Amino acid sequence: MAKPYLVVENLTKVYERGQVVALRDLSFTVEKGEFLVVIGLSGSGKSTLLRCINRLIEPTKGKIWLDGTEITRLSPRQMRRMRRRIGMIFQHFNLIKRATVMTNVLTGRLGYNPTWRTLLGLFPKEDRELALKNLERVGLSDKAYVRADELSGGQQQRVGIARALMQEPELLLADEPVSALDPATSHSVMQYLEQMNKEDGVTVLASLHFLSLARRYGTRIIALKDGALVFDGPPEAIDDAKFKEIYGEEAEQVEIR
Amino acid sequence: MSSNQTATATPATRNFWNALRRRALSFFLDWLVWGYVAYGVMYLLNKYWWTVPLERFYSTLTLPSWGWPLAILGTLEMAVWSRNLGRSLGLRAFGYEIWGADGKPPTLSQRVTRALLWHLSVLPLGMGIWLSPERPWHDQGAGTVVQPAPATRLAGRRKAIFSQWGLMSLFLIGFTIWLGWLIIQIDIGILFRRGDEGMRIWREMLHPDFRYFAVPDPAFELRNLPYSILDMAVVTLFMALLATIMGAAVAFPLSFLGARNVMGFNPVGWLVYFAMRGFFNIFRSIDTMLWAVIFAVWVLWGRPLAGVLALTVHTVAALGKLYSEQVEGIDPGPVEAVVATGGSRIEVIKYAVLPQVTPAYWAFTLYRWDINVRMATVIALVGGGGIGDLLFYYKNQGDWPKVGAVVMVIVAIVWAMDYISGRLRERIT
Repeated sequence: MAKPYLVVENLTKVYERGQVVALRDLSFTVEKGEFLVVIGLSGSGKSTLLRCINRLIEPTKGKIWLDGTEITRLSPRQMRRMRRRIGMIFQHFNLIKRATVMTNVLTGRLGYNPTWRTLLGLFPKEDRELALKNLERVGLSDKAYVRADELSGGQQQRVGIARALMQEPELLLADEPVSALDPATSHSVMQYLEQMNKEDGVTVLASLHFLSLARRYGTRIIALKDGALVFDGPPEAIDDAKFKEIYGEEAEQVEIR
Repeated sequence: MSSNQTATATPATRNFWNALRRRALSFFLDWLVWGYVAYGVMYLLNKYWWTVPLERFYSTLTLPSWGWPLAILGTLEMAVWSRNLGRSLGLRAFGYEIWGADGKPPTLSQRVTRALLWHLSVLPLGMGIWLSPERPWHDQGAGTVVQPAPATRLAGRRKAIFSQWGLMSLFLIGFTIWLGWLIIQIDIGILFRRGDEGMRIWREMLHPDFRYFAVPDPAFELRNLPYSILDMAVVTLFMALLATIMGAAVAFPLSFLGARNVMGFNPVGWLVYFAMRGFFNIFRSIDTMLWAVIFAVWVLWGRPLAGVLALTVHTVAALGKLYSEQVEGIDPGPVEAVVATGGSRIEVIKYAVLPQVTPAYWAFTLYRWDINVRMATVIALVGGGGIGDLLFYYKNQGDWPKVGAVVMVIVAIVWAMDYISGRLRERIT
């Protein structure tokens, strides 16, 4: 039987200092083309989970398969090649602030070019054209040669999306992509992710704070609490009781429209 | 994050041992203070009372053999009594206060009891502390507690100047000036007694002799250094420039090896990091002048090469440390992003680290250039070559007008460099 697209098996992460358990024995699978939303309180392990998948953080125990390859067994070199296929966007955008938008977007091609070229900044013409195309796609074609720190938060996150698009990824990890943005901008950013998911067939794993956003964009939701999986199912299945279990008794649902 | 702490010591016990350690440190501070006072008193006695014969005077402190135990025990007693009769410097420095267990200020009899009991409790190998660490025997017996001074009672407290620690601090400052004055034999009067001599040098230097400004001094032909002041100024400038460029070029790659976040958290990275940091710290702590002494012996005295090498070595270590600290202070976000796109370690440096550190790198390098110019002008004192060679030659000849000429050129160089590097640094940020 063919394995599902992404398999996470008994994933555990313990931070050695302080011996904090960030993820406890987590297992789930994701099918190709899903828009999976990870919810949970701050510190519930959402970021750690996403970073374990592209091994920005080394898991303590457990296995992860992506498209039949066991990610957790790859050598550093093989992992770098694998990371080309996995795009990532971040809560704080993680752009190179002092560089132009163009340079930032081109870093998405680092994995595809030989090191001597990237060190000299000699990206091929096709890459530059692709960069302009992707910037146009996120509506920033006029900002290509502006310094990244001159953009607004929403624009910076769109640069982050363009950077991820440059990788032509098949999997996108989005670590709280809209937490640092205002509600209106949040939706515009989420719509780009939705577009990638629907039009390019990119599987998306996004961690989100707001349940309303999760319900609106996710095709499936998993919930973490203290690093353990407490819910896995369709968005509609989260009722009031389930909500209180995930977020604690005192929590109130806040809508973001 | 779930607080799943399985550490052996709970925070409460850790705080407890911490407190005990602080109490001990505060006591040792008091002991140290009285030890210093005792040292000063012995010095003064030696100087004015006993007048030790020179052959038996090994240091500023000469004690008869029976003096040492006496001094140690005497200072210990002073520390104990000063801590109990009032608020000593040690208690104040660590924010402690002796207080009655009933919440009232301790009475005199409590204070005296505590001091006496201290001898029974602490002197027998600290038994009273080890057997009852939460409240040592002398505190129990006297009905007192040693506690952090609460901020709320500040209002009722007497002014610092009237407290024991305040008076002690004032006394220590005055005492130090008095002792220091005697120990290094400061004699202000000599400035005036030899005032004529000083005025002569100033006068001659202010009438500089620029005869050899552009023409080499024939005196130097013997030393195979037929350079004029102007030539030497050029040599000096190039010494500083070369040392800065070469130093920065070497320090630049090394700085990444000396940065914790770049080297990663594996054993090899850790080893390289510590080797690099050790190298920076050791080579930096050896002053440029000392490096010049070594190189002057190695590549011959008075050669500018010796000076350049000395400046370069120190520049590498100093810039390497500054650079790598800058690298350690970067925002880890872009690093994460570049790694996530599949970038290698060197690509991470180029695309995530360098853009964040370049302005600071330039500023540090210019600052170092400034320092190197200043050092290059005097490094000849220890054989490093450069314009200082002329300076010290003329000084040894007592030819003050020529010294004045060289000094003026040096001042002009340093001032110009200061100005240029300052302006450039403004431009960068």
